[in-house]
Amino acid sequence: MHNKPTHRFLRAESITAFYIIVVAAAFLIPTTDLAPLSALLPAAMLVGLILLALVMLITDQRKAAAGEEAEAVVKSPKRVFGAFGLIILYAICVDLIGFYISTALSLPLVAFIFGYRSPVGLAIATAIVLLAIYLIFGVSMSQEFPTGLLWAK
Amino acid sequence: MQKIFKTIALASAFLTMAGTAFAQYPEKPIKVIVGYSAGGGTDVMARTVAPFLEKYLGDGASIVVKNMPGASGQIGVTEVANADKDGYTLGTYNLPGMMARTLDRKADYDASSFSYLANVVNDPNVIVTSKSSGLDTVEKLLAEAKANPGAITVGMSSLGGDDHFLLRKLQQMTETEFTIVPFRGSAPARTALMGGHVAMGILNISEVSAFKDEINVLGVALEDRSEFAPNVPTFKEQGVDLINGSMRGFVAPADLPDDVRDTLLAAFEKLKTDKEFAAAMKATANPVQVVTGDAFEKLNADLLDFAKSVWEESPWR
Amino acid sequence: MYSDLIQSLPNVIAWANIAALVIGVLAGIVVGAMPGLSATMAISVLVPFTFGLEPLVALGLMAGIYNGAMYGGAIPAVLLRIPGTPAAVATTFDGYPMAQQGKGGYALQVAVVSSAFGGMASAIALMLLAPPLSRVTLLFGPAEVFWVAVFGLCSIIFLLGGNVTKGLISACFGVFVSVVGSDPIFGNDRYTFGQLELLDGIHIVILLVGLYALPPVIDLLESPLKTENSAGDRLGTEPIWRTFPQMLRFWKTWIRSALIGIWIGILPGAGGSMAAFMSYNEARRSSKTPETWGNGEPEGVAASETANNADTAAALIPALTLGIPGTAVAAIMLGGLLIHGLQPGPMLFRNNPDIVFGFMWQFLFGAILLVFLGGSLATNSFAKLLKLPRPLLGSVIIILMLIGVYSIHGRMFDVYLMLGFGAIGYVMDKLRFPLPPVVLGLILGGFAEENLRLALRIGRGNWMVLFQNVTSLILVALTVAVVVGPMVKHRLIDKKKAESKG
Repeated sequence: MHNKPTHRFLRAESITAFYIIVVAAAFLIPTTDLAPLSALLPAAMLVGLILLALVMLITDQRKAAAGEEAEAVVKSPKRVFGAFGLIILYAICVDLIGFYISTALSLPLVAFIFGYRSPVGLAIATAIVLLAIYLIFGVSMSQEFPTGLLWAK
Repeated sequence: MQKIFKTIALASAFLTMAGTAFAQYPEKPIKVIVGYSAGGGTDVMARTVAPFLEKYLGDGASIVVKNMPGASGQIGVTEVANADKDGYTLGTYNLPGMMARTLDRKADYDASSFSYLANVVNDPNVIVTSKSSGLDTVEKLLAEAKANPGAITVGMSSLGGDDHFLLRKLQQMTETEFTIVPFRGSAPARTALMGGHVAMGILNISEVSAFKDEINVLGVALEDRSEFAPNVPTFKEQGVDLINGSMRGFVAPADLPDDVRDTLLAAFEKLKTDKEFAAAMKATANPVQVVTGDAFEKLNADLLDFAKSVWEESPWR
Repeated sequence: MYSDLIQSLPNVIAWANIAALVIGVLAGIVVGAMPGLSATMAISVLVPFTFGLEPLVALGLMAGIYNGAMYGGAIPAVLLRIPGTPAAVATTFDGYPMAQQGKGGYALQVAVVSSAFGGMASAIALMLLAPPLSRVTLLFGPAEVFWVAVFGLCSIIFLLGGNVTKGLISACFGVFVSVVGSDPIFGNDRYTFGQLELLDGIHIVILLVGLYALPPVIDLLESPLKTENSAGDRLGTEPIWRTFPQMLRFWKTWIRSALIGIWIGILPGAGGSMAAFMSYNEARRSSKTPETWGNGEPEGVAASETANNADTAAALIPALTLGIPGTAVAAIMLGGLLIHGLQPGPMLFRNNPDIVFGFMWQFLFGAILLVFLGGSLATNSFAKLLKLPRPLLGSVIIILMLIGVYSIHGRMFDVYLMLGFGAIGYVMDKLRFPLPPVVLGLILGGFAEENLRLALRIGRGNWMVLFQNVTSLILVALTVAVVVGPMVKHRLIDKKKAESKG
């Protein structure tokens, strides 16, 4: 179990609770500029978040003190971060080099990296998906997709 | 060899033609940026105007409407202000909203960022009251407002818009005071009025024509009566010189080439007399009043001055 | 009112609308059948595409998907013991044992007929109950609408899940997201950091796709094992006209489960899974042979599947008439209605009877179509589709998510925002934060605030304006009942348990 926490403060729940407190507190700063009625609801929610996260933190630390092991959150962190990274990369590519090119590249790439290795299957799948998107969204719904910031000018 | 010469000759012929064709704007599709989503009032106006504009620009001109909704049109109009000054990007323009935004929030454009082509729609304000309020004439309304300052609640769409400015004008002229209740848009304001949750409402004439039986329409803020509701008297007839409305038109980035500007203005100018166009606009609940070029720019400047005076006196946010 | 119902019928029968419905039901079955894809996600991906469509075509697609997905979830639940949607969990109890006994085909037929029955009952309830409710239209001013929103927010307590602290954190997060954008009264910026894209607030679809679709995609990629081999090789399917007479003995279960499903649907905050569980328990309790339940009792499949489809249209009753979405799907459908300028709330029936009643007919027709489309799909061929390689499935969904979110406003900003919410959603999913409170918080938080502040302006700052008429007071009483009622009930049940133990 590679992501078993070694320290009681490194339990996933505790870290999350800590982050909620920090982020909510940070959002309280711009709240002070607002008119009183305007600030009422957001301030109440932020304070609520801080208090609830404190409860969560204390509960989790109690559990840790009682020797309860934290559950594994992800089965394979590498794959999770890899997958998330690839999705972000795909979005950036769409922005920069255009939707159809990025999609044609990333669909087989992602499927290949995550274990689907048949070249014929990949080629067929990519072709079908791109054609379907073009026909359904591009032609019949006349949707415009990003053409790529790099090519613009 | 001869073939090549022929091609070169042809090519140079094309080049010279292209040189003259440069004057013959437009030679590619013109993009019209609409700052609201498809189906909204401004979008409907743009799409109704587009075919007529194509007709008057001639030469198979084509217009493509592109929606860039967000921030009450500000995203779209900012895009227009920063677009290429070649006449191939136009945009819809709403008054007094677009100018009010330069006052009440950070805007990446100002009055000098645009070439003012034409204002097409002038949707005059109307003052309406709920049936249950019993205030069925302007006289009664003003008497009540004077007797109990602030007691009359006024439903309208957001602050810093035409509804708000009309109320400011009314308050200044008659030295009265009302309580503003700014709803998100006219439809919820109208609903609240019909339910009697607010006593009075400020709407636009196109928004009340379908509800004449459910609410009292006291008057219209126009010089002459509107063809949308010929039975409704103007405020002028009733002794209060109130003129105000929501305007929608077209602008392009500032400093267009002169020939391009002239071509566009000439095309918009022809809308004034087109009966078919007037009918199409009426069918989509758009009261037409075409004002082109310099007159439109002057209109814009006047509205900006008024908005400034309101903003300095009592900023709304 | 009911004459509008009949008048709207011809519109619905237009070929484009029927085609949309057929496509929707088929797509819904497929989506529901794919583990990890839910009706919520399918509709949230679809909503932005409907911008350019005719309202009834768009709504037909949604109604079809909703009905189809509620049944589709039963397919992997029966064949693989993997519920395709959360609402199909109770279907696995008896459906999977049936499949192991080689009666998978029959189980699916029971599921499809029950689903259709539930859907029809629900659609009829929507048609008959919603119009009277909409007559209260004009009683709702800002003060009253504020109380309705508070009532809806209180229903979050049913969505909290096991851990109350986490449920409340989800709710606070949702409400906080709802205040981003321009202030409802003054129009000044709140937490936009100068981004014009944030000025109109965060679009519900961006949040939904991030929270509901991204975590399952990452799960698909995280464990790319092929779905385990099924017993569905031998479905033992018989033609439906031969099996149908055998099902007629479930009629009591059908009616009971349909009523439970409709009732749960009307309650804001409950949902298909709760309806399915409740109706399964009730059906077993009243069965003469409770010992066969859990070992392949077709009546168990019937109970669960009837209820989760009976929840669909009924969930729209509070959504359409009061603007309060009963379920996450209903919430997205409200978004779909808004896109076409159909403001949910009492005025909806007045302003757009054609479309609203057309939408209701579509629910009815969707349920009927389910028998024909679902019946033919529930064959061996479908088992093969489930073996689609997961990495491929995952990457296709990623593309659809991007297209979907980009299409809302035509800008990449929203896509990045969605990815941000996706990261948050993934963490929430893994740490078992319930997601529905976020959605409900986003929808109702800003709504409550806006109406509270409008009411305060009408009352010129006097908070008593909130308690000044009968409608408000009734709503306050209802809210209190919703919050306190379950607590009292729990106390009583605990007491009973203690007594029976003692």
